[in-house]
Amino acid sequence: MAGEQVEKRVKYKSSVKDPGTPGFLKISEGMLLFVPNDPKSDSKLKVQTQNITQKFTKEGSNKPPWLNLTIKQGRNHIFEFENYPDMHACRDFITALGKSDEEPKKAAVSTSTEQLSNKELELRFKLLRENSELQRLHKQFVESKVLTEDEFWATRKKLLGKDSIRKSKQQLGLKSMMVSGIKPSTDGRTNRVTFNLTPEIIFQIFAEKPAVRQAFINYVPSKMTEKDFWTKYFRAEYLYSTKNTAVAAAEAAEDEELAVFLKPDEILARETRQKIRRVDPTLDMEADEGDDYSHLMDHGIQRDGTMDVVEPQNDQFKRSLLQDLNRHAAVVLEGRSIDVDSEDTRVVAEALTRVKQGLMFHLKIADSIQVFSSLTRTISTAKNIIGKNPRESFLDRLPKSTKDEVLHHWTSIQELLRHFWSSYPITTPYLHTKVGKLKDAMSNTYSKLDAMKESVQSDLRHQVSLLVRPMQQALDAAFQHYEADLQRRIAKSSGGERPNGYV
Amino acid sequence: MIFKIEDVTVYFPYDNIYPEQYEYMVELKRTLDAKGHCLLEMPTGTGKTIALLSLITSYRLSRPDSPIKLVYCTRTVHEMEKTLAELKVLHDYQVLHLGTQAKILAIGLSSRKNLCVNTKVLAAENRDSVDAACRKRTASWVRALSTENPNIELCDYFENYEKAAENALLPPGVYTLEDLRAFGKNRGWCPYFLARHMVQFANVIVYSYQYLLDPKVAGIISKELQKESVVVFDEAHNIDNVCIEALSVSVRRVTLEGANRNLNKIREEIDRSKATDAGRLRAEYNRLVEGLALRGDLSGGDQWLANPALPHDILKEAVPGNIRRAEHFVHVLRRLLQYLGVRLDTENVEKESPVSFVSSLNSQAGIEQKTLKFCYDRLQSLMLTLEITDTDEFLPIQTVCDFATLVGTYARGFSIIIEPYDERMPHIPDPILQLSCHDASLAIKPVFDRFQSVVITSGTLSPIDLYPRLLSFTPVVSRSFKMSMTRDCICPMVLTRGSDQLPVSTKFDMRSDPGVVRNYGKLLVEMVSIVPDGVVCFFVSYSYMDGIIATWNETGILKEIMQQKLVFIETQDVVETTLALDNYRRACDCGRGAVFFSVARGKVAEGIDFDRHYGRLVVMYGVPFQYTLSKILLARLEYLRDTFQIKEGDFLTFDALRQAAQCVGRVIRSKADYGMMIFADKRYSRHDKRSKLPGWILSHLRDAHLNLSTDMAIHIAREFLRKMAQPYDKTGTMGRKTLLTQEDLEKMAETGVQDMAY
Repeated sequence: MAGEQVEKRVKYKSSVKDPGTPGFLKISEGMLLFVPNDPKSDSKLKVQTQNITQKFTKEGSNKPPWLNLTIKQGRNHIFEFENYPDMHACRDFITALGKSDEEPKKAAVSTSTEQLSNKELELRFKLLRENSELQRLHKQFVESKVLTEDEFWATRKKLLGKDSIRKSKQQLGLKSMMVSGIKPSTDGRTNRVTFNLTPEIIFQIFAEKPAVRQAFINYVPSKMTEKDFWTKYFRAEYLYSTKNTAVAAAEAAEDEELAVFLKPDEILARETRQKIRRVDPTLDMEADEGDDYSHLMDHGIQRDGTMDVVEPQNDQFKRSLLQDLNRHAAVVLEGRSIDVDSEDTRVVAEALTRVKQGLMFHLKIADSIQVFSSLTRTISTAKNIIGKNPRESFLDRLPKSTKDEVLHHWTSIQELLRHFWSSYPITTPYLHTKVGKLKDAMSNTYSKLDAMKESVQSDLRHQVSLLVRPMQQALDAAFQHYEADLQRRIAKSSGGERPNGYV
Repeated sequence: MIFKIEDVTVYFPYDNIYPEQYEYMVELKRTLDAKGHCLLEMPTGTGKTIALLSLITSYRLSRPDSPIKLVYCTRTVHEMEKTLAELKVLHDYQVLHLGTQAKILAIGLSSRKNLCVNTKVLAAENRDSVDAACRKRTASWVRALSTENPNIELCDYFENYEKAAENALLPPGVYTLEDLRAFGKNRGWCPYFLARHMVQFANVIVYSYQYLLDPKVAGIISKELQKESVVVFDEAHNIDNVCIEALSVSVRRVTLEGANRNLNKIREEIDRSKATDAGRLRAEYNRLVEGLALRGDLSGGDQWLANPALPHDILKEAVPGNIRRAEHFVHVLRRLLQYLGVRLDTENVEKESPVSFVSSLNSQAGIEQKTLKFCYDRLQSLMLTLEITDTDEFLPIQTVCDFATLVGTYARGFSIIIEPYDERMPHIPDPILQLSCHDASLAIKPVFDRFQSVVITSGTLSPIDLYPRLLSFTPVVSRSFKMSMTRDCICPMVLTRGSDQLPVSTKFDMRSDPGVVRNYGKLLVEMVSIVPDGVVCFFVSYSYMDGIIATWNETGILKEIMQQKLVFIETQDVVETTLALDNYRRACDCGRGAVFFSVARGKVAEGIDFDRHYGRLVVMYGVPFQYTLSKILLARLEYLRDTFQIKEGDFLTFDALRQAAQCVGRVIRSKADYGMMIFADKRYSRHDKRSKLPGWILSHLRDAHLNLSTDMAIHIAREFLRKMAQPYDKTGTMGRKTLLTQEDLEKMAETGVQDMAY
């Protein structure tokens, strides 16, 4: 659509009664221009095409072909065309513009949070001006597109000061409504029912039913499509709602994937066992059971009308509304535990699973932090040496250019590693590409270090290599992790395709 | 503060005292002086526990020559811990003022599950398997065997405790279960056996009711308590039920199947024992001939549960000859199981007295009454001889033997009722043979006889004259206290109609009426939108709650409720309910607000507090009557009428109303608290029902609040909440003293208690 434009001969009327000014209407992407034939006329018009709503007269009515455009601010512009086809051409063009407008608008919404006030930009420039090292890093990574501007600054929020730290978004809580409340819509003629799933509903289902979440990760897309998955899920829900456990059992026996939904949720049971240990002791009714020998197997009074009728609960295809309500409320109370704003169901599922396995996850991160901090220590001690006892410092004995180079490599490796480790675990394609770029930049630096080692004078070589070694070690660790992760991913995705494990 | 009640100097760890606490102590002291029993009703939230502890420990200090022991019985572990925590404060205060002579030893006692510190034993999932896991490591024969076989795993804590022998003692102090565990871990001694050992030395013991009332446990734990003890049953409004449950037992099909499997196993063990170590069985036989059922030298861990019959009913005779041989005993049990199986095969409900049951058992299976009576002892002896440690596996045969012993021991106060299915679910065949005790006085009689003073106290004991009849004892003091309040912090209401003026009730013919269900729902919808934080609802039964929630879900009422508050529900799974409660509290804490649906007579109604913001409103849906067609209930009512002259209707109303009072009482746990109580059933407006509520609720129930519709109740609730939000004067002014200082008490001592202002 870019570059296209429409030009028609029209009469411009500022109101219905206005006889109209003849002229040309030019519509191009983003701009609507009316140029009157009489250059002295003051009814020139220049309007942005965004936010236009249009009304027009119908063909066949006895009215002339008018197009009434309403701009957001409330002004009406009426154009009288010479014929209907002209008008339609214009109308369609504007409609098309409106549509294409919407999409960039959406994109704008997603980046609008990233949009910066001028003040913030100024602050960044100031910081760069004042700190040459920072400037150099910025130049090295941002301008070479290893990192984006935002990524670069994201790790330096402290530098940007209080005001610039984006106000922490208040997380929106979950709605109290139960998902089981979503009623399918029917078309009334066939027995077909349609469920509308929104990301919020999917999130809720995954959060409340870990077994469904796990099944999704296991089956989609390797075994079935997402649509099939949800169809099966609602089939299972339907079976629950009929309370016909015999049918449920029969169907589960035939279809092992369906059975996953119908069986009691084991992941949930495990979570429950963990949670009960952390419960407030004043509520722990289980502890009381320890002292109750009056209700030792079949002791006590069973059927005196105080205790209730207990329906056989051991039926594994039975799940009660009460349990669902409790579970739902618990999930709502937990709130949105993940910060993934993705439409991709799988990403949501994986992120949730990760949060639940929180502990392990934290450990892994802790590992990489250790590597990282040991590196920082080397650098800071080196710097201290410079400060404290310059004469004896080995760094000082290096030629200034070499010294600067070493220090610069240090800081840039630091920067790269910080971004690298914080990208794990890789949850989005975006992170995937980012890690790739970082890895390339790192291997680049690695070879530069090698080159530097080679280039220094032989008497200094040993010392320089001592200095360089921890840096290279840190990089090696990162490469190793990168490879291992990559292998794991490949294995996982290929394993998914061939569930029997054939390679 | 320190003050005198007659000749006793009372040490009370706070600067002020409520007038009703003071009065309570006065009555308590009279009871102790008279060495008799008493019945005291005092609303919760008035500091009953500290008044009790303070008076009894002070009384003990004032009579150093005849020191009394305090046995304090609670219903829940959490109350146990709370009581001990209060005692700690009191103990510190007394030691501060009196020095080391005020030092006492106070311990809490619970099951292995709550006291064990051995992680391997604790990994077992329930109480019975924890018990068994412990026995597997501590039984005397296991330990003996381990000297030869080092692969046998023992418990280090128990070994260390045994090694320390007489030196394994707790220094004076107050020990909660938590403290005991910490002490045990620290010293490497088993806290459970240490605590059990210390029972005989402790000045104060806090444990569960069952440890005194259930002969199975009491026979092991509480056997050696001295007569000079004061026994307190706190929150005792359900004590009659605890008593009859302790002596009741039933048999189902699964019990019989399990018992048969157990017998097969026992049979195998006997054969093996004969082949390898015939001497063991012969020694047992000789012991039984001599008249000793059990070895005299049972170590603490060996005996598992005591005889289910009450101590004075247990015959001190030799085990009858026909079951002395192990094989013979197994044969007798087989015949018993067979007979019970035949009886379970009935298609009609059968009710029988123990006497006729025993005689038909004798004629058809050839088992005599005396043989039955010894079943428990004989089984215990056999299991010890065969050195069986996995006691949890042998529960079914244990149950059958308990049944036999009880049915052989008691001729009156019991019935045997056989039902092919539950009345309310006739489509599910579930035959059951129940031996049910009707007489609560049986189980508690040994306690009244054995101990100097027994104190029965609770927030709801109305009508207070009924308890002495149910438990057949004569209290020397029986009193109901009111609550002195600076403001009307409770607001009971009786809701009889919905907004559409149609009556609401859970009466059998009305409860499933869609209009009633809707009106009940609308009441809650309206209330959740004006009441802050927590709201608790109690229903008359699980099945009713299940049904009404399902209907609310279908009609969208639940959704409307959920728009205001999160919904949590008590289910029959204790673990799930505990988690739901934990979440409920967190929802109230974080300000989201929540509703908790619960059941009268359920575990939540019995043991969980909904104080402060955890419960600003409690709605009691319906009158929680027992299911009156229950055969056991009918038999009990008949027995009560014939034996104690208690009318059926009176008992049923009394029972329903004490449960209702118990439910609504959960919202207020202190005077600074406030809460509303809605009794949502038209039957509450009738005088004969209402008047059975405890006085402290009735005194706040205004006449204008007796017949409300939903919209009126909403209006009253709004007003009440607004009033409660105002700041108030805690000590009480304008003549109504609600907090007394030491000075006030001294003045009162001169002029007499009567002048105390309410």
